[in-house]
Amino acid sequence: MTLVLVFSGLLFAIGTYGVLTRRNAITLLISVEILMNAANLNFVAFSRLWEPELMTGQVFALVGISIAACEAAVGLALILAIFRRFGTTDVGRIDFLRG
Amino acid sequence: MEVNWPDWLDFDWLDLSWLELPWIDTNWFHDNWYGLLLLGFFWGVVVFTMVGALTAVYVYVERKVSARIQGRLGPMETGPHGLLQTLVDVVKLAVKEDVRPAAADALAFRLAPLLVVVPAIMAFVVVPFGVPMVIRDLNVGILYFLAVPSVTGVGLLLAGWASYDNYSFLGGLRASAQFISYEIPRTLAVVTVVMLAGSLSSARLIEAQADTTWFVLLLPLSFVIYVVTTLAEVNRVPFDIPEAESELVAGFHTEYSGFRWSLFFLGEYASLTTASAFAVALFFGGGLGPFLPPVVWFVLKTAVIIFFAVVLRFTLPRFRQDQLMALAWKYFLPLSLVNLLLAGLVMKAVF
Amino acid sequence: MLDSDVQIALFAVFGGIAVLAALAAVLTRYLMRSIVAFGAFLTAIAGQFYLLAADFVALIQIFVYVGGVVVLILFALMLSAVGQKHPLAVSEHRGLGAVVAYAVGGWLVWAAFGADLPEAGEVPGETVAFLGRAFLDQQLVAFEVIGIILLAAVVAALVIVRGERL
Repeated sequence: MTLVLVFSGLLFAIGTYGVLTRRNAITLLISVEILMNAANLNFVAFSRLWEPELMTGQVFALVGISIAACEAAVGLALILAIFRRFGTTDVGRIDFLRG
Repeated sequence: MEVNWPDWLDFDWLDLSWLELPWIDTNWFHDNWYGLLLLGFFWGVVVFTMVGALTAVYVYVERKVSARIQGRLGPMETGPHGLLQTLVDVVKLAVKEDVRPAAADALAFRLAPLLVVVPAIMAFVVVPFGVPMVIRDLNVGILYFLAVPSVTGVGLLLAGWASYDNYSFLGGLRASAQFISYEIPRTLAVVTVVMLAGSLSSARLIEAQADTTWFVLLLPLSFVIYVVTTLAEVNRVPFDIPEAESELVAGFHTEYSGFRWSLFFLGEYASLTTASAFAVALFFGGGLGPFLPPVVWFVLKTAVIIFFAVVLRFTLPRFRQDQLMALAWKYFLPLSLVNLLLAGLVMKAVF
Repeated sequence: MLDSDVQIALFAVFGGIAVLAALAAVLTRYLMRSIVAFGAFLTAIAGQFYLLAADFVALIQIFVYVGGVVVLILFALMLSAVGQKHPLAVSEHRGLGAVVAYAVGGWLVWAAFGADLPEAGEVPGETVAFLGRAFLDQQLVAFEVIGIILLAAVVAALVIVRGERL
């Protein structure tokens, strides 16, 4: 069990690094998905510890996967809209106020 | 980690004892990890060989049937009635020079054909040949059959992108747009079967049909949706717009040649073979039938479906790209939702 | 028959692949490689789910993530960064990011070793049946919420991409 937690902790840290340092919108999205996967891993693992027959953790992981899919769809739609408007997917160079 | 593993994780399914080979101690394989690795490798080779052989037969049948339709003879030179032609072609393709465009992304270019062919072969594992006979009866077998080939979409896009060529690029975009569009009605059509079978295991599927009747009689609409969407998913005529020679050269595999091209080819035919075999399992009772052994029935039924697909290819004209997407989203998606409702009513009536 | 050592080893192998692929996805400066690594990462996670007796979740992971999300991301890449071969710009906050990530990861790993966990319970063999029961019984609200969110996401994505033409 500790093994699972260690792996998901490492993955979460990697995802955090990605979210903080990447500037391209698509890689940012990938980093967020890595974070969600780390969380899902824990949900599935903990599903076995407390009342495995209720499957609460697995249900939550499935909900998480669906949310991630929604997030990807909306996020990518946003990225496309931004690209059409600014000609870049670099979040550092999207500046409404500077015109 | 102190955990109780469920039964289906104990690797018993890799058992070889049914072979009853006196000179091999089958327990040896289960006692250590390299034995297990060898067993896994063995089954991998078995599945790959089966798929490869089926594909070769398929290609031969297609050539002969198309020749008949078009008033030709087809391959005649190599072997009696050209039987060995496919084999010779395989050798030719394997030894051909492997050309890679200078601008292509090396990693993605190499990865793409593998992503197309491997899932198609992997999906073969859950096809139920006999009445209880499946290479691996997962309790989520039908979902496996839907999920694993969906990776192919990534391969198609990667191939189009990696080739660094406009035709490939457009072909890749079209192919995978088509792929994910038709995946939805296809999955919904399979869900109706799962509802009636009451299980996701492919062996249970056959048992449920033994209890009632062929599901094609109960769910004819599901079968129609399944066939059409499957043809669309594997880019077959009349849905082969991603590879339309007349406008896209050869679509996403324009830049591929030799061995890598043959991998795409193998992937397409393997997934069509697997999908046909699974159609038999889903709708025609798999190996159920009188007199003959189940495997023979299964092969016969699959052959009929494949013959149907081949004849379709040479009788129908191609769809246009916008018609293709409109068909998926405007007609097949609502239709499959209505079909889901119908399946509920059927379930109420039959059980 | 095997004891669970092989499965623990397999789990560690999948974990190693997942960590390496995640690192590659986050560190590489080529978008395409990042996406390919992300796909490998998702597959490795699916393998881990399978070993944790969540076969249904593992396959849904492949179906939705590898077959859906990765394809979507590739689509977005192809429609936004066509022909872009030069590496991406690097952020100026790399040091800060590394420090924060190191802190978060260290904290989580420390917590994992310090955690007082109960024994794992008996896993139901037929996960699908149990999941189905859970979704239509105790977790019905979650099920309905997924439906609403999915609908909202589809509509939102359509409006964002082609709002002016709707």
